[in-house]
Amino acid sequence: MDVQLKRGLLDVCVLAAIKNGDSYGYKIIKDMKPYLEMSESTLYTILKRLELSGMLTVRIAEHGGRLRKYYHITNAGLGRIEDFKNEWREVMSIYQFVVKEDDGNE
Amino acid sequence: MNKREFLVQLRKGLSGLPQDDIEERLSFYSEMIDDQMEEGFSEEQAVAAAGPVDEIVKQAVAETPFVKIAKKRIKPKKRLGVGKTLLLVLGSPIWLSLGLAAFAVVLSLYAVLWAVIICLWAVFVSLGACAVGGVLMSIVQAICGNGDTALVMLAASIVCFGLTVFAFYGCKAATKGCFMLTREIAICVKRCFIKKEEA
Repeated sequence: MDVQLKRGLLDVCVLAAIKNGDSYGYKIIKDMKPYLEMSESTLYTILKRLELSGMLTVRIAEHGGRLRKYYHITNAGLGRIEDFKNEWREVMSIYQFVVKEDDGNE
Repeated sequence: MNKREFLVQLRKGLSGLPQDDIEERLSFYSEMIDDQMEEGFSEEQAVAAAGPVDEIVKQAVAETPFVKIAKKRIKPKKRLGVGKTLLLVLGSPIWLSLGLAAFAVVLSLYAVLWAVIICLWAVFVSLGACAVGGVLMSIVQAICGNGDTALVMLAASIVCFGLTVFAFYGCKAATKGCFMLTREIAICVKRCFIKKEEA
C-alpha cells in the first residue's frame, strides 16, 4: 500500500478510537486490534504527529497511584474524520465502477 | 527482560536524542507496560509487546530531525577551560579545513550519485524524443517517396519506443533506490552522532 495513503489511514483510525471519549495508549491499541494491528512505537509516532497538528490534546491524570496520559480529540480531529468519510465515499464509488468493469470483461 | 531492564536499555539507546524526547518516550512505554500488567499480562509479556529496543531506537532516530540531534551534540556539557578554548582556536586552521574538505568530498559523492540519476532520466527523454522524431521522419520520408528509408526509420523509432518503456522502469527504480539510500544515510549519520554522545 502507498506509504502516504497508509499514514493517512492510520491517523484516522487513531482519531476514530478516541472519537467517542478520551482514551489512553494501551486502550487505543486494544480497541483497534480487531480491525488493525499496530505496534506501540507506531502508535507513539501517530499520537505525537496528531498532537503537533492540533488534531488531539493530551492531559495527564492519576490512575491507580500512577500517571496516565489521556488523549482527547479536537474539532480539527473530528473534521479530519468527516473529510476522510467524504473522500472515502468518492473512492468507494470509483471502486464500484472498477469492479463493475472487471465483471463485465469476465 | 523486565520493565526496569527494558527502560534502562531504551534510555541508553535513545541517549543521543533531546532529553524531553527521551523522557516522553520512556513514560509512554512505561505506561503501556503498566497498563498491560494491569490487564493480567506478565511483566515479560508486556515488555515483549513493546518490541525490540533496537527497532524502537531506530524508528525514534529516523523520526527525530537531524538539527535536534546535532544541537544536543554541539551543546557542551560543561564550559571549556581557557587552555582548551585557546587550543581549539589555534588549531582551527587545521581541523576546520579538514572538516570542510571531508564534508565537501561527501557532498560531491552524493551529488555524483544524483548526477547519475539525472543522466539516466536524460537517456529516457532522449529515447522518447528519438521514438517520436523517428515516426515523424518516417512520415516525411514516405511522403518524399523514399519508402525503404521510411520503413527503416519507423523500425528504429519502434525500437526506441520499446527502450523508452524499459528505461522508464529502470530510472524509476534507480530514483527510488537513491531516495531510500538518502534515508539510510541520514539514519546512519544521526546514529554516528548518538554513538559519539554515548562514548
